[in-house]
Amino acid sequence: MRKFTRYILQKFSWYLLAFFLALFLNFLLPRLVPGDPISVLVSQMMSGAVTSEAQERVYQSFIQEFGLDKPFFVQFFTYVGNVFKGNLGTSFSLYPLSVNKIMADALPWTLFLQFPAIIVGWIVGNLLGAFAAYRKGNFDRILFPVALFINSVPYYCLAIILLYVFGVYLRWFPIGGGYSRTLLPSWSWPFIVDVLHHYFLPFISIVLVTIGGQAIGMREMAIYELNTDYVTYCKMLGMGDRKIQSYVFRNAMLPQITGLAISLGTMVGGSLITEIVFGYPGIGSTLFNGIRRLDYPLIQGSTLIIALTVLAANFIIDIVYGLIDPRIKAAQVEGS
Amino acid sequence: METLKLLFKSPKFIAGLGIFVFLFLTAFIYPAVVDKNPFEMVGLMYEAPSSRYILGTDNFGRDVFVELIHGMKTSLIIGLFAGVIATAIGVTIGLFAGYKGGTVDNILNSITNIFLVIPPFVILILITVSLRSRSLAVMGLVLGITSWPWTARAVRAQSMSLRGREHVDIARLNGASVVEIIIREIMPYILSYIFMAFVLQVASGILNEAGISMLGLGPSNVVSLGTMLSWALLFESVRSGAWWAFVPPAITIALITFSLYFMNTGMDEIFNPRLRS
Amino acid sequence: MEESRKIMLKVDGLRAYYKTRSGERIRAVDNISFNLMEGEILGIAGESGCGKSTLAMAMSGLFLPPLTYESGSVFLDGENIIGKKEEELRKKILGRKYSYIPQSAMNALNPTLKIKNFVIDLLKEHDPRMSKKKVLDLTTERFESLSLPPWVIDLYPLELSGGMKQRVVIAVSTLMNPKVVVADEPTSALDVTSQKIVIKLIKELFDEGIVKSVIFITHELPILRHVCDRIAVMYAGEFVEIGETEGIIFNPIHPYSQALMQSILVPEVGIKGKKLPSLPGSPPDLRKPIKGCRFADRCYLAIEDCRKRTIGMVEFDSRKVRCIRVDHIKAKEEVVPHVQQ
Ligand SMILES: Nc1ncnc2c1ncn2[C@@H]1O[C@H](COP(=O)(O)OP(=O)(O)OP(=O)(O)O)[C@@H](O)[C@H]1O
Ligand SMILES: [Mg+2]
Repeated sequence: MRKFTRYILQKFSWYLLAFFLALFLNFLLPRLVPGDPISVLVSQMMSGAVTSEAQERVYQSFIQEFGLDKPFFVQFFTYVGNVFKGNLGTSFSLYPLSVNKIMADALPWTLFLQFPAIIVGWIVGNLLGAFAAYRKGNFDRILFPVALFINSVPYYCLAIILLYVFGVYLRWFPIGGGYSRTLLPSWSWPFIVDVLHHYFLPFISIVLVTIGGQAIGMREMAIYELNTDYVTYCKMLGMGDRKIQSYVFRNAMLPQITGLAISLGTMVGGSLITEIVFGYPGIGSTLFNGIRRLDYPLIQGSTLIIALTVLAANFIIDIVYGLIDPRIKAAQVEGS
Repeated sequence: METLKLLFKSPKFIAGLGIFVFLFLTAFIYPAVVDKNPFEMVGLMYEAPSSRYILGTDNFGRDVFVELIHGMKTSLIIGLFAGVIATAIGVTIGLFAGYKGGTVDNILNSITNIFLVIPPFVILILITVSLRSRSLAVMGLVLGITSWPWTARAVRAQSMSLRGREHVDIARLNGASVVEIIIREIMPYILSYIFMAFVLQVASGILNEAGISMLGLGPSNVVSLGTMLSWALLFESVRSGAWWAFVPPAITIALITFSLYFMNTGMDEIFNPRLRS
Repeated sequence: MEESRKIMLKVDGLRAYYKTRSGERIRAVDNISFNLMEGEILGIAGESGCGKSTLAMAMSGLFLPPLTYESGSVFLDGENIIGKKEEELRKKILGRKYSYIPQSAMNALNPTLKIKNFVIDLLKEHDPRMSKKKVLDLTTERFESLSLPPWVIDLYPLELSGGMKQRVVIAVSTLMNPKVVVADEPTSALDVTSQKIVIKLIKELFDEGIVKSVIFITHELPILRHVCDRIAVMYAGEFVEIGETEGIIFNPIHPYSQALMQSILVPEVGIKGKKLPSLPGSPPDLRKPIKGCRFADRCYLAIEDCRKRTIGMVEFDSRKVRCIRVDHIKAKEEVVPHVQQ
């Protein structure tokens, strides 16, 4: 067990390092924008309506908040300090709303959409892939190209087409948003049904694309496993097919877990754009609005939250993986 | 030569290559022959497909068909450029890490792993947001430098497995330098593998271009498949039922990616026969 | 060989091939016939790629793709097992009557399963009524005879050394007291002491009458010479010579056997019969049909006739040889480059 603790600690320090790198990029890159974005923005957002004195006040408050008058590294520490205090700053475009508040409103929607969609897509995709590998024949011959095609349709293209066909053309589903504007959010049945109605299309479009990619990966892994020496040996010992299939499924599944960890970033990225297509009120749409209005604090807040969530999910996957795969455990033993 | 012949026996590879070459030639020959400006506003907003504009017009009244061809060309250029850059970086890092082992490997591998877990999408957004102008070359470069870790990781594993081979030992005993060994004794053995990785990187370059364009961070002053989609979305073509504004670019992206994936699968079956039952 | 002994395994004209994806056939087992008596140990030797492992697999009656059955029969304990339903093979034959010890133990065990759970799964598949305790007792007992400590059972395959893995595989393969054991280069991964232990175990099982007959696929001279009763020499999918041990080792007749035995007796370091430096050329491509003697191109005695027709086995002093130049060889006994004893 102490070995396992060490494994966790080791993984944790890696993710911490990755997080700091993400933090640094988050801090650095928007600062490389040429010119003085703040003055441009302040004048843009408050144009005409207020006195130049008021503009100057807002301008100064931004300068102070970001410590823009201080040396570079002081700015960085101010930034890191703020982030660790849980303060993501103030939005330019929705001044004086804090980025924290905007994120707190958006994040639950994103988690609610993406987490179940990715998990469902992952499970169904793996089952289909394994099935195609065992069954071969027609099932495989049809499933494989279909999965490959779905996998090559980008998330957002599928989303747009689903939205057009089922939302606009057939009118089966609403054409956007997380819930109807006419309803007030509450824990009432009509509202929940309404939310699920809005949920369906974005959910299914993420699920479908995830299934495609996962089925292909699993099929390959399972075919590979089916051709390994231990399968031949088990067969030569007269072991039944069911038992052998259970071995193969398990062993092919394990790399798929790491596969999930690695492709999670891409999946989340794709799903964020899916949100934009459906106007779903999550981080993706927030980010999109931030980009359109050059709201740097909002952009930074969104990318940071995305990076943090993906890193955390990866860390959890790593721990789960370490718990269940003896190949890793044995490697730890060998390594020590 | 032998492997090339084998490749041309794979129906998947042939089909993939066929589609890709067709799209590629269309994208590069059509604009050279028919001199039409994709930015020219020729009609009204969202005119339906007709004999005049076979794919109708977009939100600015521009000819979607002309845009589509030019967009395809842009996307292919960006994708290929990103693919070259990502493959070059990934292969270099992967080869060195795998061949050298030890500390060099530890450092390079750690860097790779860190860049694998930070979503490339995030880095992509941060970089493009801070660029004032995003030319084709810049876009390709940025897309390339955010997607190399996959290749590095895969190539490292291959290079590691070759390190102990006899011919590599011989070259080392003959006093060949590290770079010489890597180029002469290791790279040739994984060329097919590198090519496969390149094909996948081109696909991912095209996909990512479209993705980042959807966020409004696409290449400036050109039409690409991604910017077409992004305009279509921004100007409510979906909700107003103007399917011709978004279906053509969406299908084209899918078709390009599909052809590349199909090529890759065909090659995989030829080069890794154990995958086949 | 007394005629009164029972025939344990009778292989008759067995042919099998690998089907490649381009539709070609690699005929790795081509018209093999021989008898294995009860109480007999047969050695099979031959260059790498000549089809020894393929033969061992094909004789089980189970043809795992891409290996495909073509023709011939295999009688195990009087019963033709070719063409039997997979289910019946699995329940009655595989592991229980016919047991194959795979060539490479490296990846023969499921990496994510403790040895313990694997043997429990395996024996329960064959006899669901067997208790876990009984399985474990049986296994540790067999482990003991192979000088494997009992706690090995709690390990994952990755935690075992190469030699340990090999011994575990041997223990597992013999767990159900199979009548015929086919050991495919069982000692190649082992050091000398472990080699001896392994051979001792198989001999013990054999002497106690638990295992009735054994086939050793090997190039190790000690096994061939001190353990085997008879030896078969295989070349390009065929047996080219089969006969009693001493004769085959010290007085091989077929020109290929001569070259092979020479390399086994005087092995250059690290070669051990894998490559035959003394022979020009390389074995024929098994994908193409071969007319006449398969060895003709490398044979110093080949004449035109050798390439013209199919060469059958000729009986010769309790030995069978696939060569039409036997008389010539016999006549010139002295000049043949024989191995010094
Ligand atoms: N799965 C397979 N698919 C296609 N061909 C195969 C397969 N396995 C073996 N072969 C071919 O069949 C022939 C016989 O192989 P086999 O493994 O039986 O040889 P072997 O005598 O056991 O060699 P070794 O001493 O190296 O174990 C070889 O030419 C080999 O290339
Ligand atoms: Mg073999």
